[in-house]
Amino acid sequence: MFSQIALGTVEQGLMYAIMVVGVYLTFRILDYADLSVDGSFTLGAATAATLIFRGYNPWLATGIAFLTGCLAGLFTGVLHTKFKITPLLSGILTMTALYSVNLRVMGRANVSLLQARTIFSDFGKIPGMQEYGVISLSLLTVALVGLLLYLFLQTELGLALRATGDNELMIRSLGVNTDAMKMLGLALSNGVVAFAGSYVAQNQQFADASMGIGMIIAGLASVIIGEVLIGTSSIGRTLIAVICGGVIYRVIIALVLQLGLAPTDLKLVTACIVIIALVSPRIRSKIFSLSSGVRGKGANYAKCSESNQSLQ
Amino acid sequence: MLSVQNLTKVFNKGTINEKKALDHVGLKLEQGDFVTVIGSNGAGKSTLMNAIAGTFLVDSGEITLEGKNITNWPSYKRAGLISRVFQDPMSGTAASMTIEENLVMALRRGESCRLRKSISIKERAFFREELTKLGLGLEGRLTTKVSLLSGGQRQALTLLMATLKKPQLLLLDEHTAALDPKTAQKVLDLTCSVAEGSHLTTLMITHNLDHALTVGNRTIMMHEGRVILDLKGAERSHMSINGLLELFEKASGIHMHNDRMMLTGAM
Repeated sequence: MFSQIALGTVEQGLMYAIMVVGVYLTFRILDYADLSVDGSFTLGAATAATLIFRGYNPWLATGIAFLTGCLAGLFTGVLHTKFKITPLLSGILTMTALYSVNLRVMGRANVSLLQARTIFSDFGKIPGMQEYGVISLSLLTVALVGLLLYLFLQTELGLALRATGDNELMIRSLGVNTDAMKMLGLALSNGVVAFAGSYVAQNQQFADASMGIGMIIAGLASVIIGEVLIGTSSIGRTLIAVICGGVIYRVIIALVLQLGLAPTDLKLVTACIVIIALVSPRIRSKIFSLSSGVRGKGANYAKCSESNQSLQ
Repeated sequence: MLSVQNLTKVFNKGTINEKKALDHVGLKLEQGDFVTVIGSNGAGKSTLMNAIAGTFLVDSGEITLEGKNITNWPSYKRAGLISRVFQDPMSGTAASMTIEENLVMALRRGESCRLRKSISIKERAFFREELTKLGLGLEGRLTTKVSLLSGGQRQALTLLMATLKKPQLLLLDEHTAALDPKTAQKVLDLTCSVAEGSHLTTLMITHNLDHALTVGNRTIMMHEGRVILDLKGAERSHMSINGLLELFEKASGIHMHNDRMMLTGAM
């Protein structure tokens, strides 16, 4: 019983970790808080579920889900770069628009995939995979997505993307079209998020119009948890950190549920996790500056007057 | 080489804050010219540089570089020809990335980025060699994040990045002003040796009148969006700082006690 819950939690965690990699790409690499994630996660789920329901190949459906996510990200990118709408608002606009789009795609509020052929049922047919099909495929996918993103970030294009998030002025003066980079990053990120959405829908065997609500906050929480616990000294390490963060976040949620909290309280718990993670460095530095503040100011003052003297 | 004709730029046109930042500026630079630009705050020095680099498009006038009319090019396209160093040491490098990653981006300035491995072994050796010339011990720290470097080290790195791939025009906007005097002198010496060594055409804004006369081969002075003085050759080599200030008063037609104080005070 317990082992089954644990297995299910890790399976889910790995699938959500794919989404977290997408969120990491915009939130950390591009330094862009992209709220369209809430919509594009559902978009991926809705697209894949509807296509599978109509009898299409589930692998093809998953690929198309990725592409629709890219389109959604591109839309946010165009709003921001071409029409100069702030990052936050562009994301909210896309998210809101996608809610209607998702209902159109599915034709109703949810699509059931019971008994349908999915990538997981396909994978489960491989000998010896019956019980561990879902976890193997999820693990394989998240590792592959992480590896591909790692390799991509080492290419010239990847460097330009990272520099766009780090110092836009500098990379533009080196001849990179930063608008194009932002659109590329947003498209890739939302593509990965939609891809994750299609996995989740196929695993739980239904897609629902509201399944993406709060996804961005869950993603941010996972990124922050991973970074705090594992570290950010290099890109490779950070990627491993955010993937682990995604799994750990799901484990925390499962534990909270085991403790007896209602599932409806989960969003509040998530918000609290993010708030604690965001606030704790500030409080720590405040305590630190209180203890060393006076000395620090004195040293600064001495430095100023010294350089003033050498100027005269 | 660089030719700027009748360049005009008005900010906040039609409002109460209307400011004529550039007023029919004309300037011609020969290949290998190292021109220092002086003038009080608001004279239009930085605006001129931003106009040349393409930060904004000008209202009227024409900019040609190497025979190409670049007046309407976006800034990222001009980057293939022009490189810049800014006053703020933080603004020229990407802090979260390593020294070699910053250098390789600079090496590809103006080229389109492709989906290929960014740094080759040969390039790494080249970076090491170039960093050795800075004499700051950075050659052994290729994979160090730039955020761990001091302001002076970062500015020296920015200068190296600006000249790693030879630009047709190098723009320096008070690039030593934010450094302590000793580091500033070092970065300035580096600037001179790089500019001379690679025979670069350079435009350098400075508030230091001594540097304005001793560095490079030509000095121009700007005032209220116009070039009011252009010194070169013997006239420049015989010029003193006080003479320069007198010329400034004469050319601008204003008796400027305040500016005299401001210009000398900034040294």
